[in-house]
Amino acid sequence: MGRNNAWAKAGVTLVAIFVMLLCSPSLGLSKGKSITIRGSTTVLPIAQRLAEKYYQLHPEVGISVSGGGSGVGIKALLDGMVDIASASRPMKDKEWKIAETKGIKPHEQVIAKDGIAVIVHPTNPISELTMAQIKDIYAGRMDNWSQLGGPGRKIVVVSRESASGTYECFHKIVMKKEKITPAAILQAANAGVVNTVAQTEGAIGYIGLGYITGKVKALKVNGVYPTSEVVRKETYPISRPLFMYTRGKPQGVVAVFINFVLSPEGQRIAQKEGFVPIRPVK
Amino acid sequence: MKRGRIQELIAFWCLRMAIVIILAALGSIIWFLGKNGLSILSWEFLTEPPREGMTEGGIFPALVGTCYLVFGAIIWALPLGVLAAIYLTEYTRQGKVIRVIRLGINNLAGVPSVVFGLFGLTFFVIYLGFGVSILSGSLTLAFMILPTIIRASEEAILAVPQTFREASFALGATRWQTIYKVVLPQALPGVLTGSILGIGRAAGETAPIIFTAATFYTPHLPRSIFDPVMALPFHLYVLATEGTHLEKTLPIQYGTALVLLGLVLGINLVAIVWRARLRRKKKW
Repeated sequence: MGRNNAWAKAGVTLVAIFVMLLCSPSLGLSKGKSITIRGSTTVLPIAQRLAEKYYQLHPEVGISVSGGGSGVGIKALLDGMVDIASASRPMKDKEWKIAETKGIKPHEQVIAKDGIAVIVHPTNPISELTMAQIKDIYAGRMDNWSQLGGPGRKIVVVSRESASGTYECFHKIVMKKEKITPAAILQAANAGVVNTVAQTEGAIGYIGLGYITGKVKALKVNGVYPTSEVVRKETYPISRPLFMYTRGKPQGVVAVFINFVLSPEGQRIAQKEGFVPIRPVK
Repeated sequence: MKRGRIQELIAFWCLRMAIVIILAALGSIIWFLGKNGLSILSWEFLTEPPREGMTEGGIFPALVGTCYLVFGAIIWALPLGVLAAIYLTEYTRQGKVIRVIRLGINNLAGVPSVVFGLFGLTFFVIYLGFGVSILSGSLTLAFMILPTIIRASEEAILAVPQTFREASFALGATRWQTIYKVVLPQALPGVLTGSILGIGRAAGETAPIIFTAATFYTPHLPRSIFDPVMALPFHLYVLATEGTHLEKTLPIQYGTALVLLGLVLGINLVAIVWRARLRRKKKW
């Protein structure tokens, strides 16, 4: 009898705990008003801060932010899994076609601008490269820093995987669509590139402006050091707009969020994270 | 004789060394995490959402998220696993079919967790339309820990002496009455062992929840089982790979790892104590 009790108690306890968990967030089964954002790891820090602030202003609206890469975000948007896809590149023709077959009209909104900084290990004496030199390095035609007037050290090329919007832009603007050397180490996120370059003496990588830290050294490209100032003036050669895509014109809470992103306060957040605002800042 | 002594000595020292190495590995992990993470641990760290671009504040949503996912997984996997184990041990004749089923279950146990994640993404998230949510994640985790629970339950049920069943049948009990009133209560400690292992795995795995349940940031607790959640292992993973402020979040990363370790150890401890108490009542 005692054992039967133990068995029953075990079951009852587990069920009770789960029911409690389910009930605690307002009966658990109906999804309330909420916004889900997924996509570019470049946009991630802005999106996260925006979500943080937005939640303070509208605590009744649920909000969640994920990374994964621009391609992942756009795919999730077209699959109906998220409300907003953040992207560090425009949607591709292929993606527009998929949207069309699914009967979705994605709405494109530029939210800020970003430069892509080329970074090396802090001990590297090189502090400036031209676009042509960067292209040669990433195409695999130059593989030693001595060819660029640096020390006799092998160049370790660090790039991003193909779902990355940063990769797409770099591939288009710097490589002019030429193939990146297969010897390149591929990283899944900006922070991964920073880490690898910071730990590898001969490494070179590229990252969004917001990710520059003291652990790596950003190079002048064609004589211009990457700052938000030069990206705004469009004198820095590797820059790009950042996007948020929605299914159709944003509506309801999503529209409120997008408007918040473009508001002076939202733009100030983007600026604080190292990006370039496109609207006036408070 | 002398050669035998030497062999014995060598064997013993090898065994001793194995234990020392294992304990040293465990100890150094805990020491390393403790040294780097203890300083950030505080009540606020456990009960506040992340703030200031995840560089400050705590890990409350991740902690709660992991609890939801683990309990969700156990709720699905425990009954299903125990029922399957009963079927495999009590209700079928041991033969070819059972061998094939067992082989299938054993293979399921060997499937890498990321494969479960991808399965969860295509089946629960997209096909069944549950979205990236607690529901999808806990179902995926449940499938992942199912083989562990089935195997442990099976062994526990088989360990119950045959004479118990015979005595029950002799009293006129049916098969189901025997299972429910005699076999299962005796097998409970073994079943709990399986659940303990399952809970530990479900709480610590990242791959199955990346695509099915986890989100980088959400300031609030989940409001329904269709909400995505933050989870401790995923939090650790994204802070280390996708976050912007790697340096600044370093203490938070260590703190998260420490809390995750503590959570798993804590859950295990509760179940171990519970199991020990049940065992003490054993009469055979």
